[in-house]
Amino acid sequence: MILRLAFRNIVANGWRSITNMLVLSVVLIVIVWMQAMYFSWIRLAETQQIDWEYAKGMLRVRSYDANDPFSWEDSHAPLSAQMQGAVQQGELMPVLLSPASIYPQGRLMSAMLKGIPHDQNLVKLPAKILNPQGRDMIPVLMGTVMARSTRLSKGDVFSIRVKDINGSFNAVDAIVEDVIEIPAVTADIGSIWMDLATLREVKAMEDETTYLVMADAGLKSLEQGEFKHIDKNEYFADLYQMLKNERFQQALLYGLLLLLAMLAVFDTQALAVFRRRREIGTLAALGFTRGKISLLFTVEGALYMLFAGGLSAVLGFPLFWYFAKVGFKLPDSYDEFGIQGFSEPIRFVYPMGEILVIFALILLLTIWVSWIPTRQISRMNPVDALRGKVN
Amino acid sequence: MKMRYLMLALLLSIGSLPGQSISAEEILNKVDANMISKSGKSTTRMVVHSRRASRTIESINYSLGDSKFYSEYTSPPRDKGTKMLKLDSDLWIFDPNTDRTIQISGNMLKQSVMGSDLSYEDFMEEGSLTEDYSAKIIESITHEGRACWVMELTALRDDVSYQKRRIYIDKERFVSLYEEWFAKSGKLLKTVSASEVKRISGRWYPTKILFKDELKQGQGTEYYIDSIEFDITIPPHTFSKAMLKK
Repeated sequence: MILRLAFRNIVANGWRSITNMLVLSVVLIVIVWMQAMYFSWIRLAETQQIDWEYAKGMLRVRSYDANDPFSWEDSHAPLSAQMQGAVQQGELMPVLLSPASIYPQGRLMSAMLKGIPHDQNLVKLPAKILNPQGRDMIPVLMGTVMARSTRLSKGDVFSIRVKDINGSFNAVDAIVEDVIEIPAVTADIGSIWMDLATLREVKAMEDETTYLVMADAGLKSLEQGEFKHIDKNEYFADLYQMLKNERFQQALLYGLLLLLAMLAVFDTQALAVFRRRREIGTLAALGFTRGKISLLFTVEGALYMLFAGGLSAVLGFPLFWYFAKVGFKLPDSYDEFGIQGFSEPIRFVYPMGEILVIFALILLLTIWVSWIPTRQISRMNPVDALRGKVN
Repeated sequence: MKMRYLMLALLLSIGSLPGQSISAEEILNKVDANMISKSGKSTTRMVVHSRRASRTIESINYSLGDSKFYSEYTSPPRDKGTKMLKLDSDLWIFDPNTDRTIQISGNMLKQSVMGSDLSYEDFMEEGSLTEDYSAKIIESITHEGRACWVMELTALRDDVSYQKRRIYIDKERFVSLYEEWFAKSGKLLKTVSASEVKRISGRWYPTKILFKDELKQGQGTEYYIDSIEFDITIPPHTFSKAMLKK
């Protein structure tokens, strides 16, 4: 009976009810959109990095720190016999990194040379084209962001200068064999890929390696000596940290939106308690306890939220569908910021579990906010209420 | 008999013509003697040519041996107060605009100094020619009107930055007038031309030098030594990090 009465009251409330539901549904749409955006962004970034760089895991030289340029030049070590065996079996793929000076069109720039076996198949990088056999110049591969920043394109020739393992300068000419879309930003920005054996020869670093990509997660048992297993949490530490910072801002925004929505609900309910005091008196005279009357108002609040949920689904559907199909893409100029996961459109995946939890929390919050003004009812004298007097 | 002695004397005199009897090693020693000092103070100008314009950077420099170097830019106003300190294999730069000192390392060492043809790595070079190279006289030529030996220098160790150099040494003044620095692969990396040599404190010293990164486009970087003093006493605190923020 209370439910039916509450529904009738909402309908009778007219545009006030509609405004409340609209405000709540807009808040819901924004929250669902943002939740989906962050969820899909992290999922995409992880997939891209795993496909292009991380595979099933990584064993990396302990001294290497991606954020510390001081460490780059000396971050390499020879492989143990066991590791060499795994490399020959195709279970591990060695990669050697080397800071270098490059001279595209005679301009001096810094770059990171990345040596990868041309016959590898653990990551998506098309390394076959890096085979130097029968070539006059060293074939190299780069991503579109790197090509844009160096103003190099397919077929261009440029010089590379490095210091070898002893500190002596070596220089070679390279040809851009191809420029490809590399969604994993760390494999694109600042990176020039070449055949591992060639880089080792140029650097006089026979058998030296910076990191090993694993074909199977179980190979982490090969962690030994100079090489340390890098788990997903460590590999994606920067990304997760960025997400953590974003989450904080996100929470502030959610808080602000919810505050506005709850103010609207509270205001409506407080006004309703004042406006409907004769009705409250009548209900009390008919035998409704104060608790039941409070429940009626609280149920009305909860219904606002439930209807707002339905309205969100209807109003938000075109938006949710668009971002699931077309995706969210930052302008190309953002590529050079190196934010993982933003190199291609983020097609939204909606985390239903998270969304339902958020919906339930907002529902509880709405119920609570709807209940607060009804405390006044407990202080009302039914006779005064019937006469339209306020305490 | 007299005729025989005369012939012998003539042959000996030919053998002892200036520059003919000297060994490659002795030449390098004499070049090092001109170029290397225990300490030094100089005021220099570096003219950096870019595609659109040229700019001149003036500085006062102090050096102690070949491992300590301190430099302060005095002009242009934009760069005035920028300081550079090299202690063995470490290099720091102080930027007065940000009031911060940064250590130059890794990839940053490969960057050009103020847009010039010199990289920070070039500033890190140490050692004398005789310590680093074995030399061979290839030929005698006339370069820019001066009689020169063309010498080929091969590094004595694997850790010498340039494994091969070709240098033109002025036969009379024992100063390098032109140098080519090669990578291990044999690719020419840099050339250095001295177009003005002056007698300073009993030494012949190049005072106008053109550095050219041969992999880079452009006219190169001119380097003028306006004044230089050798073997002077420099307070030890000059070569300390505290000096950068003073």
